[in-house]
Amino acid sequence: MAKRRREVEEVVNDDLTPRKTRRSAIKDISATASSPVSHAETPSGRKGILRGTPTKANGTASADPTPKSLRKVLFSTPAKHGQDEGDEETPTATRNDRSARRKSQRTLQKQVADGEESEEEEDARDEAVAAAILGEAGSDIDDDNDAIQVAEPSSAPDTPSKSGKPRGRPKGRRRERTPSPPPDLPPHELYFFQNRAGGNKTSANTLASNLLLTHEDYYAQVTAYEDPHEQDVKRLQQLHERGFEQWRFELEEGFNLCLYGYGSKRALVMEFAEHVYAQVGERGKPGIVIVNGYTPGVGIREVLTALGGVLLPKGVKMPAQPAAMEDMLLSALAEAPPKQPLLLIIHSLDHPNLRKPATQATIARLAAKPGLNLLATCDTPHFPLLWDTSLTRHLHFLYHDTTTFQPYRAEFDVVEDVNALLGRSGRRLGGKDGVGYVLKSLPENARNLFRILVAEQLVVADSEGDAATIPAYDDSDIDADAEAILGDSDEEAAANQQSTPSRRGRGRPAKKPAKAKSASLTKPVVSAPQGVEYRTLYHKAVEEFVCSSELNFRTLLKEFHDHQMVESRKDAGGTERLVVPFRREELEGLLEELV
Amino acid sequence: MSSSQRSDLQSDAVSSHKGFKVLGLHGGRHIEKAGRPGEASALDNINSATVGEISSFLDEAGHNQETSRIPAGIIIAGPSAPHTSLATQLAKHENDSDSNRIFVTLSSGSGSHLKAILKTLIQKATSRQSALDDETDEVQTTKQKSTKLLSYDLQLLHDFVTERHLQQVVVTIDDTEAFDSDLLSELIELFGYWRNRIPFVLLLNLATSVDFLQQRLTQAAVKCLSGRLFDVAPSSDVLEQVLDAVTSSDAPSYLGPIVMGAALERQSDYIQSIDGFVDALQYAYMSNFYANPLSLFLKPTLVREEVPDDHFEALRTTNSFRAWARRLLDKNRATEVKKVLQDNGALFDLARRGIGDGRATLNGMMLAVTVVRTLQQSLPNTFVSRKSSLYVQAMSGKLAGSAMLRALHLTVRKVPSDTAVKILQSVLALSIEDRALSECADVATELDELVRAQAEAGKPLRSEEDIRNSTLRTTVHAQKVELSKHKTSLSQQDKDFTALLRRFTDILTRFFSETLVNPKTLLFNEIFVYDLRSPHREVFTPRPRHAIERALASPHDYLDCECCAPDAEEREEATLAATQPGTAILYQLYLESGSLINASDLWQAFQAVMGEEREEGQTRALFQRALAELRALGMVKSTRKRVDHIAKVAWRGL
Repeated sequence: MAKRRREVEEVVNDDLTPRKTRRSAIKDISATASSPVSHAETPSGRKGILRGTPTKANGTASADPTPKSLRKVLFSTPAKHGQDEGDEETPTATRNDRSARRKSQRTLQKQVADGEESEEEEDARDEAVAAAILGEAGSDIDDDNDAIQVAEPSSAPDTPSKSGKPRGRPKGRRRERTPSPPPDLPPHELYFFQNRAGGNKTSANTLASNLLLTHEDYYAQVTAYEDPHEQDVKRLQQLHERGFEQWRFELEEGFNLCLYGYGSKRALVMEFAEHVYAQVGERGKPGIVIVNGYTPGVGIREVLTALGGVLLPKGVKMPAQPAAMEDMLLSALAEAPPKQPLLLIIHSLDHPNLRKPATQATIARLAAKPGLNLLATCDTPHFPLLWDTSLTRHLHFLYHDTTTFQPYRAEFDVVEDVNALLGRSGRRLGGKDGVGYVLKSLPENARNLFRILVAEQLVVADSEGDAATIPAYDDSDIDADAEAILGDSDEEAAANQQSTPSRRGRGRPAKKPAKAKSASLTKPVVSAPQGVEYRTLYHKAVEEFVCSSELNFRTLLKEFHDHQMVESRKDAGGTERLVVPFRREELEGLLEELV
Repeated sequence: MSSSQRSDLQSDAVSSHKGFKVLGLHGGRHIEKAGRPGEASALDNINSATVGEISSFLDEAGHNQETSRIPAGIIIAGPSAPHTSLATQLAKHENDSDSNRIFVTLSSGSGSHLKAILKTLIQKATSRQSALDDETDEVQTTKQKSTKLLSYDLQLLHDFVTERHLQQVVVTIDDTEAFDSDLLSELIELFGYWRNRIPFVLLLNLATSVDFLQQRLTQAAVKCLSGRLFDVAPSSDVLEQVLDAVTSSDAPSYLGPIVMGAALERQSDYIQSIDGFVDALQYAYMSNFYANPLSLFLKPTLVREEVPDDHFEALRTTNSFRAWARRLLDKNRATEVKKVLQDNGALFDLARRGIGDGRATLNGMMLAVTVVRTLQQSLPNTFVSRKSSLYVQAMSGKLAGSAMLRALHLTVRKVPSDTAVKILQSVLALSIEDRALSECADVATELDELVRAQAEAGKPLRSEEDIRNSTLRTTVHAQKVELSKHKTSLSQQDKDFTALLRRFTDILTRFFSETLVNPKTLLFNEIFVYDLRSPHREVFTPRPRHAIERALASPHDYLDCECCAPDAEEREEATLAATQPGTAILYQLYLESGSLINASDLWQAFQAVMGEEREEGQTRALFQRALAELRALGMVKSTRKRVDHIAKVAWRGL
């Protein structure tokens, strides 16, 4: 049934007609009702303009001069006229024909036949009936309905969004839908609740890019931050430190250790390494090799080389291939095991650097040797999935929960990670300073070109910022703008935004003044162009004698591209635009340095 | 809730460290090390027969080189494959005998195509010995000067083999099933082509069946092989052997039902290889001897002066000691209790005695278990219980009155004389020096006489309870069916036999009731029965996901700070507080959201929780850090579906 209905809908849509599924039903009713034409207006109809939907075409086609309720246009039957004419005939015949497809086809044909004929309005009763029918017709229709009423950019009042301006539809018309799930759902139910079709509605707010700190800002803030839990975290670590003797004993007995739990275990493990080293064994100090698995670029080769440096006699040349290195180490361990087992400490064994199956297998084979003790830390919750049974057996792990709550200072590059997570240009080199550094090493011409580019970009941003169409990095504009961009595709966003975390009653009342929406509403749907057009820049460059030919120009640009100082984007018209991916303040700073 | 959970969380750590502090680490180690050899030798012996067979197979294959087919040993290891212990045993076995063969182990990870596999094969085969003896190196280099060979050319191996005069190249394939069947077939065919030059021998480890292997190989490959089948002891048998070793009469301490049950369950459900079980046992012993200071008393040569005073205090606080004192007081033997309470020397003697008695009792219990199994084995149509399950039942004190034992009694009473003789013989063969069972010998001799007297009759004696000696009669009386049991008249011999059987079962009943006691009632069972679930479970079956989720969802459980403590009244509402670590706050917000999260809204919510008074830059830094941590923990990932959205990846508690 539902599928059939969808089909009908599609067919109707294709023909640029107001879709409605239950049209035939309505039609039948209206046919018998022989109602007078009424021109009921709903104020919300105005908003229909926003949507470039077929309904509009229909509305204009109608000879009726009055602006019509969009809603009614949507659900009215365009073929009513014809139906009226055939009133004397037996409508029952049509009614008895239950095939929805045939019905829709018939309507379509009629519509074509009727051509430009104006459609008529139903009276209030018809509308009520239609609404009643539609009420049970399924949620997708409802959603459309809502979205049309509130095509205005808005965020539903129940989202935590702080910039909640008093906008959106009038309170009275809002359908009550609880944003938060019913309490105490079992985990699987919660999963299905949060993944239900159409259930995942988020607001279209965008994160102002100046919200994300740069490296230096972040570093400054984090060093200034005083953790209120410092004492507790310290105590937690002390508690784990009391396990050192136990761990040492377990290692001595031939087990390997795996530490898991939330928080950086780096400090704890280093402490343990010192503890072990401080214990003077009967056979001398144990060798300790520490691998920082989180360091970018660390691979199995580095691990093996480090081990080789300790295990192999001096002057022995390691082979180049990891497999050969491993064989060499294994045979060295088998033939001349160290007097004290070597302690291999691997921070973040489950880091993506070391996650390759071959790497894990190599480590496992090494760890299986009695001459080598492995102490590994794992950060992710799913790390046991890295190992199959044979690896697990080789690794011979005893697991300890060492939740430390210490921040992952060395392990994660917070700023880059977040940039990558949010799809910001994550790979730009070290911020503004990095760019300055690169520019210093480039020839004069290149520096000039970059200066022109930055200056132009700022000019463009300024001029378009005045027109309020550019996504200038201003908080208030952003969401309005984004709404305009996304409004079309995500009508449902406006309706219900349950899934963003609620503020648990700590919310502040929305106090931003209402903003004039008109400007943003008339904006073009496409993203406002950003950056400088390729051609423009080229001409500018030629004017300033930076370069003489396009080839020359391209060579200069290539350098910038290589350092990710410039990104090239295509705008809606297909013209290439060059963008320096920095915030306004940074751009200004750069320009100052360059001039 | 949280404080109790917290203490529970930390208790194992604390309790195990108490051991280190109190016990000066003396004594325990010797016993522990002494307890291990039995286990280890049992492990060594497990597959010695199979290993011997395989190596003789290799020798045989070495002698007749003429066959064009590759000799292939197909080792059915069952689900415990890849059986590394077998490979190592084989290698060890080979090291002892000086034969001219090299072993190369290939696994499915060695390469995904023929070239790669051959490369690893050659690399492994040729590099292994060049590292060992270097006098032949020159030969190798000079000889290879002439032509440059590709690294996957078997000619390399051939040269190597001829140089070293190797008799065999044994290629072991660990996980045959994991190999791509085409690749395996190609490899075998290629070996077949080189068979006249390189003396290959294949050892295939199979987890499934030979039929399956044959299906997967091409016909040409199958034709190249001449296989021989070897069976590896199934892991359950190995487990029984290990258990035998552990519960042998000189075991210093026993594992309780909880630990053993957990280890056995894990063994049968999740891991099949015996190594895991051995680890579990080892860890249990380690925990007992290092975390339990009282295990000092298990040292055979312990003298009074070696024991620090606080150990005696600890002894007096044990539950079993208290129960013992209560029992004595009930019997009005207060002086004894008083003496032990006041005098450490007396307590020392008591402890030594108690431990000795307790261990003897447990030893008797193990014998009882053996008797039960012997009975089951000699009775026809009886299911023989596994020793492991009987052990767990016995140690938890549930075997004594169990239905299984009762059924066993009834069956014994019904047996005819020939079976009875067998049963008695097998029980006597156990040569158990137990008062109760010693009477069995009398029963046996009497039975022998009876049977001899009956021998002429040619049919065995039947006891009264035997079904064949009673008939059921149904009579229809006044339209009702009456069921009556009728005993057939018994001969005098039968009656004597019945009496004997009764005597035997009575002896058994007495024996079982004496030996099968609940270990928890033994004095000082805390010392020689180790049964703590706590460190064992966390150490072997961690729940890292749960730990992280808990740390983030209720950080108070770990941090135990005042600021984040949830109020008793409004527990649900108060879980989110500005004082909590940033990641924890963000995680809880994250839990509430759907599968797509708007980063901006998340930020707003985060900021709202953190409060206005904090400087915004600070909050931003915390937000950023929390977001990065969530990402690194694999909770969120970036999505292209919508701008500035992140996708939720993990649901709590799933």
